[in-house]
Amino acid sequence: MTAHKVDQDEARFRLAMDSAGIGMAIVSLEGRFLDVNAALCRMFDRDADGLLGKLVHSFSHPDDASLGERLRKELIVGALTSVDFEKRYLHRDGRVIDAQVNAATMRDADGTPRYFIAQFRDMTGQRVAERALRDLNEHLEQRVQARTTELQAAQRRLEAFVQGVSHDLRAPLRGIDGFATQLERHAGDRLDALGREQLARIRSASVRMGGLIESLLELARIGHTELRPANVDVSLLAEWVAAELQDAQPDRTARVRVQPGLQVIGDERLVKALLTQLLRNAWQFSATRDAVEVDIEGHRDEHGLHFTVRDRGIGFDMAYADKLYEPFQRLHGGDQGAGDGIGLTIAQQIVERHHGGIRAEAMADAGANFHVELRDLPRANEGRQATGDSALEARE
Amino acid sequence: MNERISLSKEILLVEDNPDDAELTRIAFAETGGDYRLRVVSDGVQAVAYLKACAPDDLPALVLLDLNLPKLDGREVLHAIRNDPATSTLPVVVLTTSAESFDVDVVYALGANSYIQKPVEYERFVDVVRQIGLYWLALNQPPTTP
Repeated sequence: MTAHKVDQDEARFRLAMDSAGIGMAIVSLEGRFLDVNAALCRMFDRDADGLLGKLVHSFSHPDDASLGERLRKELIVGALTSVDFEKRYLHRDGRVIDAQVNAATMRDADGTPRYFIAQFRDMTGQRVAERALRDLNEHLEQRVQARTTELQAAQRRLEAFVQGVSHDLRAPLRGIDGFATQLERHAGDRLDALGREQLARIRSASVRMGGLIESLLELARIGHTELRPANVDVSLLAEWVAAELQDAQPDRTARVRVQPGLQVIGDERLVKALLTQLLRNAWQFSATRDAVEVDIEGHRDEHGLHFTVRDRGIGFDMAYADKLYEPFQRLHGGDQGAGDGIGLTIAQQIVERHHGGIRAEAMADAGANFHVELRDLPRANEGRQATGDSALEARE
Repeated sequence: MNERISLSKEILLVEDNPDDAELTRIAFAETGGDYRLRVVSDGVQAVAYLKACAPDDLPALVLLDLNLPKLDGREVLHAIRNDPATSTLPVVVLTTSAESFDVDVVYALGANSYIQKPVEYERFVDVVRQIGLYWLALNQPPTTP
């Protein structure tokens, strides 16, 4: 090897050391720094003079000092050609440095060990982050538990509130309607036409308010009711709801055509409530038509059921379509069949609990189409599923 | 046929709201049924009244509200079912609440029926008529308490 070639190799090695992003050192067989690069100086916060000639293990964390010594001996005797290990060192100000170390033995042509080349990767930042993550995970369980307890308490307060509303707001309404009815019966003939009309308005208002409370309670229940997934025959439920609406208004001519066999895995009570809202909506906005005409058809895909409820009622202006699902928003007056303004909010929430979607398309005075997607709910555990499904399975 | 059917046409109404009590009284009167309605306004009075009744004087039916002062309807129901003298007495829970939680609890406590009071008076009268018809005319109560 020529002197020029040796100089070239040394220059290359020097360049590699100095430009390396990680700490590098040449270490004597007895364990002293013979050469160090700038990255290693930064890592230990010392200049090269502060390291050169010193024993590497003099910078070790006291608990890890023996680790390097044992490995150094194994490298010398050739039991190991190179090693990777993690070891803690001490920064000049005493802070702990977590380092990942790779050390290899450089030997002569005849195999005599000459020195070690060692690389030190500073892992302190990563270890701090890992410890923080571990602590976070350990506390996460406690935080989830605390949050669950808070949520359960909030749920109980909500249920108590709903029960209070359910009981205490409706009872006075029954009094208003009941005693207004008695007044009409016992003193109606002593009232003039205006008085009788006003009495009728009192009764009608109390009944409307009763319906409103009922709708608000339904809305509150949908949010917190526990889902009971089961096979739901949507076609059968739609026929059932249509029959209920027809019973409530026997004089109304209604033609409801339902495609048979529409099925989804959902919460049967909620799906029925959804169909009730959609069909009642179609019914209400067909009030000015000779007959209520509704078609329900759909199809399944791998996620669940898509169906459309199509009526031939008065429809609505699509410019206001985004208001359809907001509570208390009405696109029509009461004379055109408007309800309490909560029905479609209920429908939307039920659809959301089935991870689906609802959208409407309509033209003013030309009927409305409500397109609904209900995704199959994951089945509950086997035990509960068996109980929840028994009625359906018997029917299927 | 047992004789208790003809012995008592009394209904015990446990109701703290005087408006509801009065409307129930009017509604029963409107149905034209031959019933005597006795009204008590809290759970303690209800339990005390039933305890004081001789077996032949027990009402044919208890109409029980749930939200009552002192002892609430669930506690009254529990007391009725745990007293051998009244353990089989028909109890219809007639209440404003329609919460499924309440429904399940009162059936578990041994209620015979759970009926929600409608807000609309005409429907309320209809409900009262059907209660009278079913529980005092159609239904055959147990022959022993």
